[in-house]
Amino acid sequence: MNRQVMGNWMLVLALAVALGLVMQAPALAAAKQELVSAKVKQAPAGLDDAVWKDAKALEVPFEGKEKFAGMKAAVTVRSVYSGDNIYFLFHWKDANKSVTKGAWKYDGQQWAQQKGNEDRISLLFEIDRINNFASKGCTVTCHGAADAPKKEWKFATASAAEKGDLWHWKAARSDPYHYAEDGWLTVAGEKTGRKVDEGKGGDAKNMTDDKSKPKFMRDPAKTASAPGFLLAEEAVEITDYAVFKAGDVITYQMPKKPSGSQADIQAMSRYADGAWTLMLTRKLNTGNADDVAFNAQKKYSFAMALFDDSGDENSYDSEAMTLAFGR
Amino acid sequence: MTGSGKPSGGILEWLAIRNAVEKLGAQRVWSDALSWTRFTGSLALALLVLLCLTGVFMAFNYTPVPGTAYDSVDFAQFSLPFGGLIRGVHHYAWNLLLMVMGLHLARALVVAGYQPPRELTWISGLLIMLFIPVFIITGDLLPWDQKGFWSTQVRTSIMGSVPVAGDWMVRLLQGGPRTGIVALTRFYVLHLLVLPGTLLLLVGLHFHFVAHRGVSEPLFSTRERRQVSLFPTMVNRWLLLLLIITVALGAVAYLWPVPLGDPADPTDSNYIPKPEWWVLFLNQLVAIFRGPLMVLGTAVIPGALAAGLMVLPFIDRGPERHPLRRKAMLTVIAAIGLVLLVLSIMGYLEHYGPPPA
Repeated sequence: MNRQVMGNWMLVLALAVALGLVMQAPALAAAKQELVSAKVKQAPAGLDDAVWKDAKALEVPFEGKEKFAGMKAAVTVRSVYSGDNIYFLFHWKDANKSVTKGAWKYDGQQWAQQKGNEDRISLLFEIDRINNFASKGCTVTCHGAADAPKKEWKFATASAAEKGDLWHWKAARSDPYHYAEDGWLTVAGEKTGRKVDEGKGGDAKNMTDDKSKPKFMRDPAKTASAPGFLLAEEAVEITDYAVFKAGDVITYQMPKKPSGSQADIQAMSRYADGAWTLMLTRKLNTGNADDVAFNAQKKYSFAMALFDDSGDENSYDSEAMTLAFGR
Repeated sequence: MTGSGKPSGGILEWLAIRNAVEKLGAQRVWSDALSWTRFTGSLALALLVLLCLTGVFMAFNYTPVPGTAYDSVDFAQFSLPFGGLIRGVHHYAWNLLLMVMGLHLARALVVAGYQPPRELTWISGLLIMLFIPVFIITGDLLPWDQKGFWSTQVRTSIMGSVPVAGDWMVRLLQGGPRTGIVALTRFYVLHLLVLPGTLLLLVGLHFHFVAHRGVSEPLFSTRERRQVSLFPTMVNRWLLLLLIITVALGAVAYLWPVPLGDPADPTDSNYIPKPEWWVLFLNQLVAIFRGPLMVLGTAVIPGALAAGLMVLPFIDRGPERHPLRRKAMLTVIAAIGLVLLVLSIMGYLEHYGPPPA
């Protein structure tokens, strides 16, 4: 081979190296936090599965809003996908396990609802592109008059063409059935733009018509499938309140067994050592119009919110992030 | 063709192109015009054809309106069969085209391929090379993603800094002071209609001069040159090259899918686009010459470089072509090349290197 041929092949090699650099450029240019869902052969069986070591952890910072203004929180997130499913693992510190959600307590004389909410975490993806969600996150889903108090602002998209997929794990209302609430977001109606997916689920209020005491108790004939919680499907109407003694607690918002598209997101959780660990599982593509269909070739913007024993208006919010899929 | 309009000598006769085809078939070209040692020109042409074909596919599915442009690209890339592959090939093809044209130019500089009688071959080639970035700039905005939108802001602000005509050029390009629907429409029309038409003209002109002035004789080969037929020998070689590069870029696009960034948010001024590799040296020039000297980095130096290359055939007129006997000229060229390389490395470290402590 003469010198000129050698020279030309050196040039081709240089081109290949340069092309390699070009290919790296987009990754280097990424500015948002990116969660990479690792492709794994074996799906994780639980919270401590060794497969989670294959997924790179992302430390997501959260800024407190309203009651939590000026405070910060952090959640460690991992994700893997295998076969038809995607899995997320969340871990965050929380000094107290909050699952009260207004549960009834009997003091020997009367019933009263306890103070206390529940711990929650939520994720918002785009089903149909939400304008500027990728850059501004959930901020663009908050709508209200500039002079109106933020409590009156509506959680919604700006137009019907924009649709979000809302995953909402609730320690007291969805976790007892090992699910996360599956909803979607659209343009605001009378109240908010939040909708629940097709199917059944959610929770039912346990209260007599005069709102003075619980209406239901656990059916003694049924085994409690979620100790500490009264599930709607295991409840029976109370006929004799004399059976209760002081200190008895009964769930106020009874989780209902999800079905249809509301049962798309399975959850597995543990509260230990002052921290929640949660795994969410969903099909990459549920085939339901009210869910985001994940394509492993594509990147998705998403944002998260954390609720520490608090209602919707008091949360810790993340910036918008990117979910990418490893190959 | 007979007066009755019926074919009298086959389809070529009927189409009245028999003479032209026969003339083409009889055409002889130097065998080394496309060989293992000389292929950058042919490769550049193959890449242009590939860009054209993939571009047409993407245009079939594209909507040049800010609200839907991004979604149309997203749909074509992720929902259509081979959509991602085709966009990937388009992306990698223009990156490779810039590199190949750079090599083509470098080779011509080293072996003095610009010397008479090939001055106009050189100038038409340079015009093509200077023209390609306009394609990239206009194409960059079309997906209406953050990178394209904010890169356009940077480019138009640099263009706007050019004295006297800068502001006028920006308004002409964008149809106003802001990058909106009019700008997107203009970029789209330029990218799909005006620029390809002009490029076709320039490539035709380049080939015209190549055909009439010939390619430069090899300097290092001792083998005797021979001629082969343009059709089918040389055309078949080129088709093989086209096939190889299509498969190679297809494989690259499959293995490293080209990403689609976030949709453009014109209100998100926090987004700072990073310059692509081929403008790193220009970007660095702009960074070095600030304030009233900015025009040096944006117009004077790049313009002088382009002008210098244009007049090179009239300065170095030969007949000496061997690089070792043109040391002064090659030293100047190498020094300029080195400066551009250093500027590019500086730019790379600034934008892609680790953040300062």
